[in-house]
Amino acid sequence: MSPAVHGSSSDSTPRPSLLDRHYHLLRRLHSLTGIVPIGIFLIAHLVTNSSILWGAIAIREPAPIPGWSNAGVAYFWHEVKWINEQIPHLLLLEAALWGSILFHSAFGVYYAMSGRSNTDRYRYQSNWRYKLQRISGYIGILFIFYHIATLRWGWTFLVPGGTRWSYQFSASTLAASLRGGMTEVTTAGLAVSTLYFVGVGLLVFHFANGLWTAAITWGLTVSAHAQRRWGYACTALGAALLIMGWGSVIGYAILDPTKVQALEHQLIDPIDRHQTLADPATFLGPREMDLTGEHPLAEPGYPWPGTENTTHKEAQEGPLQR
Amino acid sequence: MPSPSSSTSIRSIRLRILRCDGPGKPSRWETFSVFPEPGANVISCLQQIAASPITSEGRPTTPVVWDSGCLEEVCGACTMLINGKVRQSCSCLIDDYAPNNGDTITLEPMSKFPVVRDLWVDRSRMFDALKRIKAWAPIDGAYSLGSGPREKPDRQATRYILSTCMTCGCCLEACPQYNLEPDSHEWGTSFIGAHAISQARLFNMHETGAELKPQRLEALEDKGGINDCGNAQNCVKVCPKNIPLTESIAAIGRHTTIHAIASWFSKT
Repeated sequence: MSPAVHGSSSDSTPRPSLLDRHYHLLRRLHSLTGIVPIGIFLIAHLVTNSSILWGAIAIREPAPIPGWSNAGVAYFWHEVKWINEQIPHLLLLEAALWGSILFHSAFGVYYAMSGRSNTDRYRYQSNWRYKLQRISGYIGILFIFYHIATLRWGWTFLVPGGTRWSYQFSASTLAASLRGGMTEVTTAGLAVSTLYFVGVGLLVFHFANGLWTAAITWGLTVSAHAQRRWGYACTALGAALLIMGWGSVIGYAILDPTKVQALEHQLIDPIDRHQTLADPATFLGPREMDLTGEHPLAEPGYPWPGTENTTHKEAQEGPLQR
Repeated sequence: MPSPSSSTSIRSIRLRILRCDGPGKPSRWETFSVFPEPGANVISCLQQIAASPITSEGRPTTPVVWDSGCLEEVCGACTMLINGKVRQSCSCLIDDYAPNNGDTITLEPMSKFPVVRDLWVDRSRMFDALKRIKAWAPIDGAYSLGSGPREKPDRQATRYILSTCMTCGCCLEACPQYNLEPDSHEWGTSFIGAHAISQARLFNMHETGAELKPQRLEALEDKGGINDCGNAQNCVKVCPKNIPLTESIAAIGRHTTIHAIASWFSKT
């Protein structure tokens, strides 16, 4: 090969960028992260949240909790407490999840920019799903950011009513965040609830449809029949997740935060007191508890939102007797 | 020859055509009145216009230019947008599209390829894509290779439908991931399209063509290859030959998955 030819060919074809040299790997990682860990987490998250609906069936409380939604709150409270106190390396798991969502979002937006929707001319159902997959991704990113920023990072200035979510008062502070305060539903609260309703719906679609396309991407479903069968399976999973997601949003938004918080006070206290008395040395209660057996919430006027005038005794007995 | 129905044979229909005098020139709409014979197709109406290029307003204009070859829907040259949807104009019958007197049919050139003139587009990028994935069986050499391996009937049955691709461009016109790219330097990294992916599968399944399978898969793993498919699946719905393009896409997806993992562990 002559030097002139060699020179011209190397000039006309510059070395591809790092991203382009690992294009296949990055595209497949984009597909994979949507399922593991993000999709798996979505399933776990919606199953946990929807326990407000079905927790009454599954609850393993020694003392029965009267009332369907009270039992749901109690079950959810136990699950969230377990997640926050028992899962090892929680922050590491969260960081891996955030990293995956960031990667999936950034590359997803970059890849989506290469397409131009044409549903106006080709009105096929699969073409609409192509379009909705991208729209749900864009809105989903914003929704997830709001969701994590407000309920996990404590950006209370973005929450109407300024409620700070707490894992020890998981249901009541969630209800207050969705309603816009501890009392009645405000207009801003209704907007937040609507955002959650739409956001959850779009993300469930994004996951179910993404699971369907991932099977084509990786070459699992090759024949058109296999793609249709897998489509039914993804639709069923999506429908189940949609019921759980929307049921959760409605389920928490219609709770009375004040009553629920009274129940949560009661859930925090008797169990810990029992364990403390039994063996104070091995006590593994919430970090805020002191080991003397005297609970700080027992003091009247303990400053939890909405319970300023609730004594410990009222909190313990109130919602169940009323 | 007796007319089967006087009401349909003497009817007048209108062709509304998006015209363009050449590459980079502005487009404009012109409408023509034509008198289709029974069984007429879009091409025969365009021939009427070429014989007498006068718009329906009575203004003389240049003849409308289009590309065509076989006139029996096997060459793909006369593909255009008819009433906004892509198809071959030779097989587009006026009796189906404009059954009544005064009906209008809209004709536009394909939007994903550079317009040469009027309804004639330059589909070079499609053929460039076939070179990219080496859509041939490598039999050239300095000595006789002898007879090739026998083709098995079941593979032949799968390959036959794939071999009917006429590189017409319908799948690309309907694809939201395939967009107009006049700069040929960009063709190597922009989406290759369903037709080329399906042709890669066709030649990978050929006993002799399979020798180039790793190179085809590597070309399709690069930017603009198989991963740029967005799974809108419009391609398979508009394909005039009913080629299972989405099955080819999934099959190549499977082969690139296996090839990429195998390469990662074995390539030096």
